Amino acid sequence: MEITKEAICGTLESNDLLVKVAPRDELEVVISSAVMRQFGARIREVVEETLRKMEVSHGQIMIEDKGGLDCTIRARVQGAVLRGSECGELDWRVL
Amino acid sequence: MNNQLDFDLLDPQENADGADEVRQLLRSSDLEMDGDIQVFVVARDRSTLVACAGLAGDVVKCVTIAPAYRGTSLARKLINEVQHVATMKRGHNHLFLYTKPHNVPLFEGCGFYKLVSVLDSACLMENTPVGIRDYCEILRSFRHAGKRIGCAVINANPFTLGHLHLVRQALKQCDWLHVFVVSEDASAISYADRLDLVRAGLDGLERLTVHGGSRYLVSKVTFPCYFIKDTCVVEACSTAIDLLLFREFIAPALGITHRFVGTEPFCPLTRKYNQDMHKWLESASGDGPALRVVEIPRLEVAGRPVSASYVRQLLGEGDFEAMATIAPGTTVALLREKYAVRAGRGQRVAQLKSLR
Amino acid sequence: MKKPRRSMLFIPGSNAAMLSTAFVYRPDSIMFDLEDAVALREKDSARLLVYHALQFQGYRGMETVVRINPLDTPFGLKDLDAAVRGGAAIIRLPKTDCAADVLRLEAEVDRIERECGREQGSTRLMAAIESASGVVNALAIATSSPRMDSIALAGFDYVVDMQTQRGDGIELFYARCSVLHAARFAKIDAFDVVFSDVNDDEGFLKEVALIKRLGFNGKSLINPRQIDLLHNAFAPTQDELHRAERIVEAAEKAEREGLGVVSLNGKMVDAPVVANAHRILELAKTSYSQN
Repeated sequence: MEITKEAICGTLESNDLLVKVAPRDELEVVISSAVMRQFGARIREVVEETLRKMEVSHGQIMIEDKGGLDCTIRARVQGAVLRGSECGELDWRVL
Repeated sequence: MNNQLDFDLLDPQENADGADEVRQLLRSSDLEMDGDIQVFVVARDRSTLVACAGLAGDVVKCVTIAPAYRGTSLARKLINEVQHVATMKRGHNHLFLYTKPHNVPLFEGCGFYKLVSVLDSACLMENTPVGIRDYCEILRSFRHAGKRIGCAVINANPFTLGHLHLVRQALKQCDWLHVFVVSEDASAISYADRLDLVRAGLDGLERLTVHGGSRYLVSKVTFPCYFIKDTCVVEACSTAIDLLLFREFIAPALGITHRFVGTEPFCPLTRKYNQDMHKWLESASGDGPALRVVEIPRLEVAGRPVSASYVRQLLGEGDFEAMATIAPGTTVALLREKYAVRAGRGQRVAQLKSLR
Repeated sequence: MKKPRRSMLFIPGSNAAMLSTAFVYRPDSIMFDLEDAVALREKDSARLLVYHALQFQGYRGMETVVRINPLDTPFGLKDLDAAVRGGAAIIRLPKTDCAADVLRLEAEVDRIERECGREQGSTRLMAAIESASGVVNALAIATSSPRMDSIALAGFDYVVDMQTQRGDGIELFYARCSVLHAARFAKIDAFDVVFSDVNDDEGFLKEVALIKRLGFNGKSLINPRQIDLLHNAFAPTQDELHRAERIVEAAEKAEREGLGVVSLNGKMVDAPVVANAHRILELAKTSYSQN
């Protein structure tokens, strides 16, 4: 999937995260979280796995995490990528 | 307190009653409504306005929440809404925010990161932890060795022999010169054309790098007054944010030691900016090393200081012959080709003269 | 023995925090709402939140219901994909007016189950009745498909359609009876309307007492606080419990002795009465183990 425009998905509420995506030549994942030390690595793992499954190979993905669970991270990252892509349609097999 | 708040958009130009409500809410927090705000994101409890955040391009300002609703995570909901609207509806996903320093922690909780602050009066923030960081990284790749590294920031609307003179004089006083062209597209001549003309006009000169501008340097983000027509109250205009950003981030990234600027005989605001440069860039106290500010007397031709505004006036009059005495051939050629006035001559002259 | 379904907690599908934590309240069923609780702008993101929440281990072992948008909206079919593929036990179809609405849903569910390899027939359907049409067609709706799991009355839209408003309950009387009879005839469950004033415990309990008497299996809830109140109200009384125990004992005795007829105190006890007694014991087990 190709990120062709800037998009945003999620909220800043507790247990949620705000994900912003923008087109870029390379893949850059930027994560901010109040629990960076304890969960930063796990958040990155889930984000990268989600991007891999959607075949996103470049773009800037910015995460402002407020304590989202893995299932929430997946949903928000997918949501932002879909909103930032041309077709915006989900291929369920990919998830 | 009712949990259910409604968010809405309010256009202050089109909705006079709504604008009044917002103005009142802002005043109750000692804030005035800025004239350049294009849309407000507002929160209502039933029909009462309880919070607002203004958007002027990519700048968020005039943010306030009624006292009874503070501390209820309304700020996060409001700023969340602002980011959604700005990204999905207005094409701005990199946002800046102005607030008073004591509110910084509040907005840090909303995904904004501090850039610079001016004592107790204002703080500029952006909604990414890597905005200025990434920009400086790019700048660092343009570093040059040398004891004296200079910088000049020009609008060049359009590039004139005066700008060439400034650059030549600056080059005599430094080992390398970085020239930045203001990238805000708010001038008579488009940014793309201005940048082309600068490159063309400086072609052949060595020990110099021409840089495109950015949001972080003389833009509507850092120095909004510069772009507002008829700025009367010059004293009220803040130049500090722009200059502090330069001193704390941009200058260190390029190793800049000297900032060069032409003397300003005409515009009071630009004159103030030059004066403020001494204050903010040269003082011993402050983040980032102190710089030297060097004012270079403006070039005069036929006893008259060369100015871009005069070039624009000549453009309006169609007098390319006179223009050639104060602007290089490349500038004259492009103006003739792309910006020559066909009809409505008188009006256009006035327009060109008043814009920066 | 069927699990009790007294409480169905509504969770807005767009609320990540609630989706992450609502399982701790242990309602009998949890309903993720993609319809009225979700703003238009967030329909796409809520769908994804629900899809992933359905697979979250916190909800394993809990009955999950997803309220999709009507199929004639741009959202309905996509919601259905997410819900079926995500593993929801039940799809709640809003504004079900006639049997054809259910059949249309059923056809789509058939297709999606095939496409994603989910066991055919495993996704069940709940029809929400929200209009006069729905009430009048309740019987046809309840018997329209083998996938029909339950029928629910939704009060807000219904009273608007009936040109009245919510009050002491008389305005829902016919609708409740109609829905109940349809459910009993079709041998499926019946759920009552949401009680929206979360601060009025007394009013809530009055309504619960009423619908329990009428015979509803359970009720839709919008606030976790209402769960315990409801469960307590639905718990059998000591007398009911005692009587049920004796009936079940008598039935077991009859079985052991190879008698065809169950009797208690010299009176014959019918099969439906025995089944009901089992149901009460089951209900008691759940009520008391939770408290």
